[in-house]
Amino acid sequence: MEYIIKNGIVFDPLNRIDGEKMDICIKDGVIVESVSKDAKEIDASGCVVMPGGIDSHTHIAGPKVNTGRLMRPEDSYRDIYYKKGLKPGTGFSIPSTYKTGYQYCEMGYTTVIEAAMPPLKAKHVHDEFVDTPQIDKGALTLFGNNWIVMKYLKEKEYELCAAYVAWVLRNVKGFAIKIVNPAGTEAWGWGKNVHGLDDPAPYFGITGREIVRGLCKVNEMLGLPHSIHVHPNDLGHPGNWRTTIETMGCVKNMEPKPKYGNRETVYYNTHVQFHSYGGTSWKDFVSKGVEIAEYVNKVDHVMIDVGQITLDETTTMTADGPMEYDLHMSTGNKWANCDVELETGSGVVPFYYSPKGPVYSVQWAIGLEIFLNTDPSKVILATDHPNGGPFTRFPRIIAWLMSKKYRDYWLNEKVHKWARTRSSVGDNDKEYTMYEIAQITRANQAKVLGLSPERGHLGVGAIADIAIYEIAPEEKDPKIIERAFRYTKYTFKRGEIVVKDGNIVKEIFGDTIYVDVKIDETLEKEMMKDLEEVFKKNYTVQIENYKVSDHLANSWKVIQIDSSEIT
Amino acid sequence: MEIILTLKEDITVPVELDALLPEKIDNMDVEEIKNIKIPQGRTTVKVGELFDVEIRESDTPKMTIKNSSIKLKRVGEGMTTGEIVIEGDVGMHVGAEMKGGRIVVNGNADNWAGRGMKGGELVIKGNAGNYVGSAYRGGYWGMSGGTIVIEGNAGHEIGEYMTGGKIHIKGNVGYFAGIHAKGGLIVIDGDVPGRLGAEMIKGAIVVNGKVSEILPSFKYKGIVENPVIKIKKKDEGTKIEGVYHMFAGDYVNNKPKGQLYISVDRNPHLG
Repeated sequence: MEYIIKNGIVFDPLNRIDGEKMDICIKDGVIVESVSKDAKEIDASGCVVMPGGIDSHTHIAGPKVNTGRLMRPEDSYRDIYYKKGLKPGTGFSIPSTYKTGYQYCEMGYTTVIEAAMPPLKAKHVHDEFVDTPQIDKGALTLFGNNWIVMKYLKEKEYELCAAYVAWVLRNVKGFAIKIVNPAGTEAWGWGKNVHGLDDPAPYFGITGREIVRGLCKVNEMLGLPHSIHVHPNDLGHPGNWRTTIETMGCVKNMEPKPKYGNRETVYYNTHVQFHSYGGTSWKDFVSKGVEIAEYVNKVDHVMIDVGQITLDETTTMTADGPMEYDLHMSTGNKWANCDVELETGSGVVPFYYSPKGPVYSVQWAIGLEIFLNTDPSKVILATDHPNGGPFTRFPRIIAWLMSKKYRDYWLNEKVHKWARTRSSVGDNDKEYTMYEIAQITRANQAKVLGLSPERGHLGVGAIADIAIYEIAPEEKDPKIIERAFRYTKYTFKRGEIVVKDGNIVKEIFGDTIYVDVKIDETLEKEMMKDLEEVFKKNYTVQIENYKVSDHLANSWKVIQIDSSEIT
Repeated sequence: MEIILTLKEDITVPVELDALLPEKIDNMDVEEIKNIKIPQGRTTVKVGELFDVEIRESDTPKMTIKNSSIKLKRVGEGMTTGEIVIEGDVGMHVGAEMKGGRIVVNGNADNWAGRGMKGGELVIKGNAGNYVGSAYRGGYWGMSGGTIVIEGNAGHEIGEYMTGGKIHIKGNVGYFAGIHAKGGLIVIDGDVPGRLGAEMIKGAIVVNGKVSEILPSFKYKGIVENPVIKIKKKDEGTKIEGVYHMFAGDYVNNKPKGQLYISVDRNPHLG
């Protein structure tokens, strides 16, 4: 099928196209130079054309999302998706799989990365991916509190650790290395937590710093497309901004060596809003968003996503087990908790960020402060769905960023006065341009994930994932902005129209992306000797049952990497 | 204006009546009311198909349901003013989330009577089911204001997640009365089998009947006479006549402020 998208105003930051009126040609699912006369014409005059959106950090599949759905029937009643010809779905903050796929697609998003997959529970993640339509998916794999990783790093056996990471990614079909509260989630297995980068995990005696540095080294040895993806220690604690900067700083001398993609950074700090808190308690709690933004602007090795609070009732879920316990104790709300054998843990707690709450209002302001002060080529729009708020609120965040007037309306009329007195959001006049919105919603993600060779841009050869929004580039009315980014005029997935005028018109099933790294055979054999012993001794499953089999995806997109030079 | 709805014959498939609030239909004529669509099971029917409709003069918006059945659900849900009188039994969610006005049920009510109620008055002359004044499944928004009076017995888990208002049960109740309560007052004149006030943080429960046992996570505070119960700091207090064992809890929570008052006369085994 051939299409030509005519007269749209194109924003494609990876190709430095800033609001140019041009035609886009599509043939057989990819973007091409020109098409034949038979091509179907799509009139995009008066519309903004962007590459398909990418969410680099979201929680949409797997055991903890499912636990959230089970423990929150009340979330189910709040939002019911029922459209003719489509699978019905429910859930506002933790939508069911089909609803997730449809709603991302309605917003023009085409690739989404699940941010926390415990290797042992990978089958559950992939099984839900199979039932998530319209988008391509990938899963960050949890390694930060893994016993085998900690043991190898403690003994400084980086090659063996690299072989192990490669083996896990290949066998559980994972996309990149995720680190959550390094040493802290393991400490939670002992009823404890760590309170900084240099506190050791019980028994293993390894610190967060050694884990972050070690896995960063392993990541670059293997040449993975994405950098290490880190959720540092002390999430949500006043005064944690120092730990955040220290963690970012601890890998500053490392060099990016991706064997696929064009990444230039070695460290991805996720939901940095939760890690930018000043003060010593909730009473003298202040924003340190500007300090974090200044640090990120100054260095070359860091990329951040924000984890913007949207002031909704939502469901928090993270592999940071001790943090969820704290949240449960402070709110008295229901709580689920899980220990994943040798690998990680997790917790789930429903949470209401009330606009009237002083602390929540400051959290909201911190996120915006980070957006407004960071170089737009280094910051990514995400809500850490559903932790900061559901992904369906992205359009509202875009409206806050594009309209100073709208931001001030919220600041003065809707939220607690602490947001004004304890942050600098009210003093900042920056308004995001359409080009910058395209950077923080697709281009930056594509580049940092290492997917920019074929995604996140509209150059010839790219996958034809395209979003067309019915909005003028200089529009300032928040209502129009919100509406336009919530429902696209057209969404193209792989060169096919899947959304038209905000309605899903075609159901398609995307790829699951994973990384297959080839490792030196003798090294792998040596590692397998250790691993087989661990499985025999400590795991409740056999090694053969651990692997994710090939049928657990609609289609696999494999990124092949050869790292057999590591010996 | 008073609207009188008479159920023509007994129904088997439940009907939802939340569209028929007295304030909503106050200025309609008989034909308009007959044409209102209401859900019955998985289909929709018109009011006129199930009910005879009659209008009478009245100063306040009023609705009377005659020949009522336990299959009529969500009667008076979300009402803010006026009065509803139900002759016969009524189904689930009667008076749910009501903010004002008055509902009288001259019969029994099914589960979730007064669920998440915010204001107004709900009187049930017969018995009520489980979850009187509670939150709905999974939720944590119980009754926050208003008054519920049940002249008969009530089921389990009444006043779950209650944060304000008053529930008065003149008969007996089931297990877990006042579970997760964060405020409000529950008065029970009859007997309680146990697990009273489990995980309550704030609020008070008064029992004039027999309580077979108190949860071990409550602390005994001694005997009080004619107590004045204060729930909030600025509360004037509710005066209760009688001699009571007082307990505080539930100490499974941090710094709980829940209060239990258990009749001394009927419970010599406590204390």
